[in-house]
Amino acid sequence: MWHITKREIYDNLNSLRFALTTVLLLALMVTNAVKHLREHPKRVQRYQDAVTESLSHLTDRANDSLYTLAQYGPGNFYKKPSPLHFCANGGEPLLPDAVEVDEPPVFMTDAEGNRLLEGIWSLSYPDANLHNKDVGPKVSQVDWAFIIGSILSLIALWFTFDAFSGEREHGTLRLMLANSIPRHTVLIGKFLGALLSISIPFALAVLVNLLLISTASTVHLTTEAWGRLGIIFAIALLYTSLFVALGLLVSARVQQSAVSLMILLLTWVTLVVFMPSTLASIASSFSPAVSFDEFWQQRNPIEEDLWDKYKEGLWSSELDNRKLRAKSEFYTENAEREERRQEEQLKYRTSQVHRARAITGISPATLLQHLIEGFAGTGFERHLQFAENTQRYTRQLREFVADTDRADPESLHILAVPEGMSKKPISPDAVPRFEDTLNLSKDFNTAAMELLLLTLFVLVLLSGAYLAFVRVEV
Amino acid sequence: MMTLIRRELLDNLMTFRFAAATFITLLLVVANTFVLIIDYERRLASHNDAVKMHQRQLQEKITYSAGEVRVDRPPNPLSIFNVGFDKRLGNEIEVSHKLVPSLWDAGMHGSDNPFMDMFASMDIVFIFEVILSLFALIFAYNAFAGEYESGTLRLVLTHPIGRGKILVAKYLSAMLCLIVPLLMSLLLSIILLTTSTSISLNSDDFLRIGGIILTSVAYLSVFYLIGLLISAATRRTSTALMLSMFVWGFLVLVYPNVILTVIPRPESPDALRTSAFNRIENIWETFDRERKHYLATDDFPGEDWGYELRGWGWRSEGFRDYPRILLYTYRSVMDFEGFGEKDEPKMPHAQKHFGFLGAQTIDAADRTWLIRKPALEEIFIQPANMERVWLKLSPVGVYDAATQAWAGTDLLGIRDFFHAARQYRQSLTNFFYDHKVFESRQWFSGDKGAADWSGLPQFAFQRDDINTNAKRALPDVFLLLMLNVVLFIVIFLIFVKSEV
Repeated sequence: MWHITKREIYDNLNSLRFALTTVLLLALMVTNAVKHLREHPKRVQRYQDAVTESLSHLTDRANDSLYTLAQYGPGNFYKKPSPLHFCANGGEPLLPDAVEVDEPPVFMTDAEGNRLLEGIWSLSYPDANLHNKDVGPKVSQVDWAFIIGSILSLIALWFTFDAFSGEREHGTLRLMLANSIPRHTVLIGKFLGALLSISIPFALAVLVNLLLISTASTVHLTTEAWGRLGIIFAIALLYTSLFVALGLLVSARVQQSAVSLMILLLTWVTLVVFMPSTLASIASSFSPAVSFDEFWQQRNPIEEDLWDKYKEGLWSSELDNRKLRAKSEFYTENAEREERRQEEQLKYRTSQVHRARAITGISPATLLQHLIEGFAGTGFERHLQFAENTQRYTRQLREFVADTDRADPESLHILAVPEGMSKKPISPDAVPRFEDTLNLSKDFNTAAMELLLLTLFVLVLLSGAYLAFVRVEV
Repeated sequence: MMTLIRRELLDNLMTFRFAAATFITLLLVVANTFVLIIDYERRLASHNDAVKMHQRQLQEKITYSAGEVRVDRPPNPLSIFNVGFDKRLGNEIEVSHKLVPSLWDAGMHGSDNPFMDMFASMDIVFIFEVILSLFALIFAYNAFAGEYESGTLRLVLTHPIGRGKILVAKYLSAMLCLIVPLLMSLLLSIILLTTSTSISLNSDDFLRIGGIILTSVAYLSVFYLIGLLISAATRRTSTALMLSMFVWGFLVLVYPNVILTVIPRPESPDALRTSAFNRIENIWETFDRERKHYLATDDFPGEDWGYELRGWGWRSEGFRDYPRILLYTYRSVMDFEGFGEKDEPKMPHAQKHFGFLGAQTIDAADRTWLIRKPALEEIFIQPANMERVWLKLSPVGVYDAATQAWAGTDLLGIRDFFHAARQYRQSLTNFFYDHKVFESRQWFSGDKGAADWSGLPQFAFQRDDINTNAKRALPDVFLLLMLNVVLFIVIFLIFVKSEV
């Protein structure tokens, strides 16, 4: 078997396609690295500036008083850019990079513009709406996901389309099978040979890419990032072996190598180019989402309902605190409802995207895209993780405010109203800080299903190739 | 000659590749047409909803100053062929005297779920881009190389036929075969389009589709000739096949995706933006000074722009700026249902002031546009056009640009809408002047009769006629044709000189 593998590799190393592949992959990977080195520092700088600004808001508010912190909340939350952005861009420009802390709403002002009734902050999830100002042509990203998903898979077919049909045309297949080698050994030998001869230029290109990126002083890769890169490389090999198996399958069944290449290319075009987009459009036409205007219309009745409730509390003049409590309830309830509404919209949209992603998952190219996104820490799942992180932090901060207020004996412990809360300034260091984190084990969990599916694809195709090759007459 | 063509034609027609090409193209085009029609219908419904809603919102307003006239860009039915910018750029915009509307001020309605934009969308031209070029190369790779190898070329050349004729025969017959899947799939998709009730195509649209077909044929021919060139130059089928696939991968897949990241993006001209914005800011500062000067010097004591009117309603005023797109506007809204008795003497003063303010705002907005228009052109349009030129180095880019122009979904086609919106603003302000709307009581108060929105001039947007489309598409079509001619000559030279 090793003999066959070795022979295959030697054969390939001297061929034109090997040279072209090496040049192409190297060029793409260098482009990718250069682009990353040019853009990543800017991205990190932007993030850090934004975080510093947001932190200064928090500090100012904490220094002012506990009430100010409770009313205005922390500054906006920003998504930490992933150091592995070059692996998968993940549609990042279309995703918002922040979760915003909305200013407290003003319910009533007097004629001079003084605020009589003002509520408290709430979380909101903005849209990334840069898109409709861009008059340039669409720029696609040369990330690893593209290089592996489109280019490497095509190369895999390019290396295998004549694996059996070519040998049959030359008559060498008969020669080889005349030796006492079982057919599955020949198949595995061919498979490994093709996989290895593709891996050589790919590994070389990846090495150059990582060398460029890791030696630059502007970008720093942690050990965890290296681990993730290793996983991504393994996934790339798995994905490549899928197309190698497909190539062997078709090549074993078809007599002429030209026909084999044609069938393979058509399959490739369908799997990699057409299926992801067509299936997504089909999926999105199932469930029209709530439009922006409808979303705003939903808001009004809820608010009116709350007003009525508030007025009831306001007119009861038994105790002064009762009024305050009604106010507090009104504010908190309002913020909560606003937040819930936003969250529901996010959930609705998320479920729609998830459905589309599940349907497009039939195409291995999409699976690969999702997997690389998952491990590179970019893309949609990552965005959801970020949103979850902000929600968790929000709860934490609100608990902190309530606890700190409870510790102040002068306070009436009626939250969200200036008269009912502690007015003392608090140390900004005591306030919990938001930290956007990435969790590898969590990524594994979400990716497990897709990984399994991809492996299944490979196994099915490999056994298909085996069956086809065993039954073929030479 | 005819015998040659017949022979070649039969050779091509009876092959597996012809059947596969036809089948796959039909399948993909029909399946996607279905999806695209559904998508178009949804966008059309959302457009109609938006139009209705904007009208209703306008009718509800009882004062002119609170009303917002919004116009909506209908989706282009030919976006099914090439979506271009149709889905991407803003499709609703407020038309008012305060601002000369441009593409950058537009908003989006009906972009229900922005996350769904992450999934690539596809149109029929994209399918052709990928698939037709592939088929053209597959048909071409063994045209010469195969005949060299099997020796039939020598046989053919022993007959007294010119080499040029052989070349032409090969070219014509293969093109005939390749056009079959193209025409059949387009025919089916047009039939599907005409059966859909929401899509109405007029005669101009059919001419536009004709233009798209013409461009597709030219594109197909370019790739067939590239394949022939490789086939004639390499003389071996396996090498020719290998090289053809590489060239295809490079031209269709790699180049269009990679080139824009490779070329350095033009630095955004910050200096230009700042200077233009400063000039615009100056205009509005002057405007603000004059406004305050008027308030200070008019017959009414006090400098309140609302003339201290107390009533039921709301008022707000303020400047809004957004330096990135050179936006600067001033907005004053006063929306009252009624006033107290003692406010009545203030009314004529207020009315006079709003008349003055309206004229001043229009003047400032017009002057802003004179600065803004060329600046926006230089900041946004020119770099984008530069990038488009880079894309056109691959036939795929030329084909895409030409079909966009035919469909009217290119940038110019979308800008036509905003041009119409600007003209509408002109007629709107004329209407405001003619009917003395600014000086009217209805400008800020609905107590003596509400604002009458029914007399307003109506906005109508018609896509430009076919001549405009042709004018925009023909340079690119011409480019494709030139490429054809050049390739043909090169192949002819190689073929004539080659020894059999």
